[in-house]
Amino acid sequence: MGLLTKATRFFKKYQAPSAGAPEEETEPLVRLNQVLSIPQRFATGPVMGKFLNAFKEKRILANKCPQCGRLQLPPREICAECRVRATEWVEVGPEGVIATPDITYYASPDPLTGETRETPYISAHFLLKGCKDHETLWHELKMTDFDKVKRGAKVRPVWSEKRVGAITDIKYFEIIE
Amino acid sequence: MKKNRNVGIIGVGQSVYSSHREEVNQPEMINEAVVEALESAGLTIDDVDCIVHGNMELFEMVHQPDLWHTLGTGALGKESLRVTTGGTTGATLVAAADHLVASGLHDVVLAIGFEKLQEGHTTGGITNMADPLWGRQLQTGALTGMTAAQMIEEFGEERAKKVAMKYRILMDQHAMKNHKAHRRLGLSPDQADELMENSPQLVGELRMIHMCSQSDGACAMVFASEEKATALCDQPAWIKDHVTAHREEMFCIFGDAPVLSTHRYAARKLYQRCGITNPREEIDLFEMYDPSSWWGSDWLREFLLLEGDEHLKMIENDEIAMDGAFPVNPSGGVIASNPIGATAMVRVAEAALQIMGRAGEHQVPKTVNQALASGFGGTMWTVLTLLTRQVPW
Repeated sequence: MGLLTKATRFFKKYQAPSAGAPEEETEPLVRLNQVLSIPQRFATGPVMGKFLNAFKEKRILANKCPQCGRLQLPPREICAECRVRATEWVEVGPEGVIATPDITYYASPDPLTGETRETPYISAHFLLKGCKDHETLWHELKMTDFDKVKRGAKVRPVWSEKRVGAITDIKYFEIIE
Repeated sequence: MKKNRNVGIIGVGQSVYSSHREEVNQPEMINEAVVEALESAGLTIDDVDCIVHGNMELFEMVHQPDLWHTLGTGALGKESLRVTTGGTTGATLVAAADHLVASGLHDVVLAIGFEKLQEGHTTGGITNMADPLWGRQLQTGALTGMTAAQMIEEFGEERAKKVAMKYRILMDQHAMKNHKAHRRLGLSPDQADELMENSPQLVGELRMIHMCSQSDGACAMVFASEEKATALCDQPAWIKDHVTAHREEMFCIFGDAPVLSTHRYAARKLYQRCGITNPREEIDLFEMYDPSSWWGSDWLREFLLLEGDEHLKMIENDEIAMDGAFPVNPSGGVIASNPIGATAMVRVAEAALQIMGRAGEHQVPKTVNQALASGFGGTMWTVLTLLTRQVPW
């Protein structure tokens, strides 16, 4: 958070055109600060539910479009391009390679927890075994030497001890040395 | 392509854009833009048939802000619609107003886009676009270093970084001529090397200096039927066409295979419908929704259907400067001012001002007969709008 706080001093605050005028007796402006906390529940539906449930057994499932044959990760009810139901399931991974990595330095809030994230962290689109082209899975990469974070680097998932059927059952992927 | 009747833009109003408009509340800020738009159209609120209102959904955590804003919009007793399509909201507001007038339902429509980003958390808000079951734990709003990485891979580190900084400095030089712009930093070309190394990194090679602002501000536009527009305005900016191109969630564009961007898809469709074969020659000016100087540089290639490094050359050769052959964002663009719900509308509004000859200090030094404006949103989708000086259909 420090970066942005520091940076805002570079940006001039707007001054109302009347700012230079002789001072009138005005009431001070009031700003109300509020922090919201909102409990939320999200239904997975049967398709995402199957994908998340399989995490409990350390399995990663994609589903396949019967028309164009592409895999979807995570799986979705239909293939949006062909507009047909994707009914066939394929187990992929668990190992794979990095397709596109991103190193995030900006500390933003996680809307699911309200907590500000620890930075830097690395997210990446992974091409798991059995997948091709754009059939990538987006997840976190374990913090490591940035020089190793390259396209094509081999990775494997690291699973949580206690798995509940959530995307966080995969703690992160790590580079295989 | 067939339009029921022509629609002209006859009035444009903008508040001043700033990081902190704490001296006004939301309705007051909107009213600044509404008053200016009506004055520029020579109308009063009584002449307006319908009001279209929009911003980012729940960014300020106000449900149905259009109700509260009635004080500033003048919507009391009038027909009113609310539109909220994320980053493209402003462009969709224009599309909605165009539909309302072209259909014959209304003769004069006022469209208003606004955002008061200081009253919420921008990156937190955008992060909510990601699937809560998958991806939201990683998403960092609209911040990504992937385009920078791709450009560096394709064109080499030195050239790619130089182009992104050149683009950034050009946009700041434009913003310096737009007194309503939020960030007017007064950058000069000799600062490029220092900034590209020392500006704080946000994600990968996307640095603070490359990224758009978080602004407070509002934009309002008056749309009229051909008959009214011709009677009320010496030079309306006419809406020739607009194309919206959506995609599914961003699941399938980050692997090792070519991607057809919605920008290129929308541009092809628009040019085909309007008989444009050489966009660089036939279009006089482009107001692009450029959230960062990496995206702005990269997307030129998509919108103009270019190949190879043509887009880089356009930046390197100053072709996109205000007095260049293909001016891009004489207003300073999104990097200078980004009140998100208004941002995509500001692109159309600024393109319209250039056609009308009313852009003031940042008016380009040539007649603008045809101008393009883009909107960009959420999971990589596009709205493209084409404006003309002559009655189009």
